[in-house]
Amino acid sequence: MRVAFCFDLDGTLTEEEILPQIAKHVDLYEEIELLTKITMRGLITFSKSFKLRVRLLSTIPIPTVKHTVNSILVNKPLQEFVQKNKADCFIVTGNLDVWVDEFIGREYGCAYFSSRAKVEGEKLIDIEKILDKQEAIHALRSTYDIIIAVGDGMNDCTMLEQADIGIAYGGVHEPVSTLINIADYVCYDGQALAVLLESLKQKHGREN
Amino acid sequence: MAGKIDTVVICAAGLGSRLGLDMPKCLVEIGGHPLIYYLLNVLYDVPNIRMVVGFKEDLVMECVRKIRKDVVFVRNPAYTSTTNSYSLYLGSHDLQVPFLNIDGDMYISRENYEKFVDKVKLDEDLIGVTLSYTEDAVNVLLDSENRAIGFSREKISNYEWTGIAYLANIKIRKEGLYVYQELEPYLPIQSQEISCFEIDTPQDLEYLSNKIGHL
Repeated sequence: MRVAFCFDLDGTLTEEEILPQIAKHVDLYEEIELLTKITMRGLITFSKSFKLRVRLLSTIPIPTVKHTVNSILVNKPLQEFVQKNKADCFIVTGNLDVWVDEFIGREYGCAYFSSRAKVEGEKLIDIEKILDKQEAIHALRSTYDIIIAVGDGMNDCTMLEQADIGIAYGGVHEPVSTLINIADYVCYDGQALAVLLESLKQKHGREN
Repeated sequence: MAGKIDTVVICAAGLGSRLGLDMPKCLVEIGGHPLIYYLLNVLYDVPNIRMVVGFKEDLVMECVRKIRKDVVFVRNPAYTSTTNSYSLYLGSHDLQVPFLNIDGDMYISRENYEKFVDKVKLDEDLIGVTLSYTEDAVNVLLDSENRAIGFSREKISNYEWTGIAYLANIKIRKEGLYVYQELEPYLPIQSQEISCFEIDTPQDLEYLSNKIGHL
């Protein structure tokens, strides 16, 4: 059987949340971090919070944002797993394509689903589309028999609900309890998660 | 030699209603620590530990993470209507490697754990047996070479199964009812006598509290 792996990016594949790091350029680190936290907890919808956060960060030139994103710390065991299986790994992020494209290409080399930005030159004008993460699962359905999804926040819930196997991963934050309640596995260590993913790949990859 | 165990699956999803405490058995405090603390310490050199959780899973996960961060939790949300065998299936069905199965309410010393592991051959199944001490035990009939040749709820021998098993060839099925019944088709299975203790009743708890208190 063909097995696909879908990963949230911020705080799952990366060891720090990306937007608060970007916010340092406009001296809004604490504010954006707070917004990111309450969004993860589901106290504000992802789309409202994301619009607000992007609006606050939109004055920063795109190359500056890219530069910051490129220095984000990544979880090494998970990076190795994705690089080794990049044809069947997909990053599913609410983050903006213009901000993370280069980073994903360089660090992971796999395909991704993301929110889309409207840009003019080096300036971010608006958000064109905010990703609902279940769309990624629907898009992969016809190609894959088994879809495994890994995430930590409230906006990962639709992705885990639609996937065949769900993993709540608390690498940076405690996964939100709603996500744990729909997950099959809960894991807090990147190396242990990589071992689990390899085992699931072997098991389902061998089935007919 | 204990380093030859790569993966352990600990089942800790059940209610443990016979103990009569409103908490999972593995969290019961003995000698100043939750019971699971002792088991995880004994398993310190095992690289991969999985734990099947159900009843009060959030409390179990919170406690276990403080002891060891890299435990992978397997959820059994149907813990009230399923058996230990189903939990073990959930915890092991994807594993491509032999693994050691042990219950979360088990107390075993490192010395006895090593005694069992020393007997492990990587491609052979092995079960841990102990001299009978509980009333509703799964009794094990052994042949002259200490191979298990039969399981029964009846008192067919002086040995009972501890619930500890090294499963190299045996696969636990989804529809199984009791773990010993899942092992039956694979008999004879080599056994190793060990001393260990399971907390099922208030009497068990009192006995172990005294024992650990004197260590």
